[in-house]
Amino acid sequence: MHEASIALNLIEAVEQRLESQPGHVTAIHVRVGELAGVSTEALDFAFQCLSAGTPLASARLVFEVIPLTMTCDACGRTSGVEDLVFRCPACGSENTRISTGRELEVRTLELAEEPEVAHASN
Amino acid sequence: MHQIDVKAGLLEPNDAIARENREFLAAHGIYAVDIMSAPGSGKTSLLEWMIPIFAERYRLAVVEGDIVGNADKERLDGFGVPVHQINTGAACHLDAHMVHPTLHHVAEEGAEVLLIENVGNLVCPAEFDLGEDDVIMLLSVTEGHDKPKKYPLMFRRAGLVAINKLDLLDRTNFDLPGAIAAARDVHPGVAVLTTSCRTGEGIDDVVAWLEWRIAAKRAAMQHLQVGASP
Repeated sequence: MHEASIALNLIEAVEQRLESQPGHVTAIHVRVGELAGVSTEALDFAFQCLSAGTPLASARLVFEVIPLTMTCDACGRTSGVEDLVFRCPACGSENTRISTGRELEVRTLELAEEPEVAHASN
Repeated sequence: MHQIDVKAGLLEPNDAIARENREFLAAHGIYAVDIMSAPGSGKTSLLEWMIPIFAERYRLAVVEGDIVGNADKERLDGFGVPVHQINTGAACHLDAHMVHPTLHHVAEEGAEVLLIENVGNLVCPAEFDLGEDDVIMLLSVTEGHDKPKKYPLMFRRAGLVAINKLDLLDRTNFDLPGAIAAARDVHPGVAVLTTSCRTGEGIDDVVAWLEWRIAAKRAAMQHLQVGASP
């Protein structure tokens, strides 16, 4: 259950970004790798608890789950990881590294249009 | 509605301090190993074997990570090496920020080798780099052979997996070859040893592995110093 500390980092990262470009956040897009070690449900719950009473309380988290893939340093092939076996299915080499699936980052924010602009168009 | 980019890594605040810790340890010639496992796998018992051995060879320091209390520290205080207790409060793992001030104390004490016992947990500690040189992971035979595929991150972080409580093997249905194979599926090339902190079997092998890693770090640091001088 380290999702609470990750939710705090998330809120801080978003607030920091809003300093240079203020706005009302409606959605926060988060990339979570399959092997990031984070439960999206727990992160969502922690975010709801920790953002309550802040300007981010009405923002929702939108998760993009990134599949686990590895790249073989011997033959160069990138493949999926079946049954968590990190051995290259093409050449059998054990010299592999995780290519995708460890992501844990805020990518983009959706901001509501400025209320002033909405009034002006009426 | 419009979108703006953020691109902020959510573990970056920890990773940044971990990098600082790693540089600090290197600058002070300290080798640090982070020992992780589920609760009750034998981390403190392993330390009870290793502390007297390493205390004869190096200036040693120990960090004890626990949610509350200092029961483990009390077990280790009698060895005459500095034991630093870190209580994480609610947190289920040590992080780089928590150990940072302790590293300064350890350096002031002149330590050459630092043994860190993380909070007993197979999930969260795997996510948080402390800046250590190596991770030793304990898996006890009473936990079951299916753990590598259930907690792959932890097994990928480990440089050495010690399968502990070997003295209980025949009382369990633990599939030893299966567990070793699964650990190597998840982390090809990982060192796997068997130990019993009850009988002392295999402790020498863990000591030898650590000696090899300490020597490797020292050689690398010497090489860097030689390389840096004109």
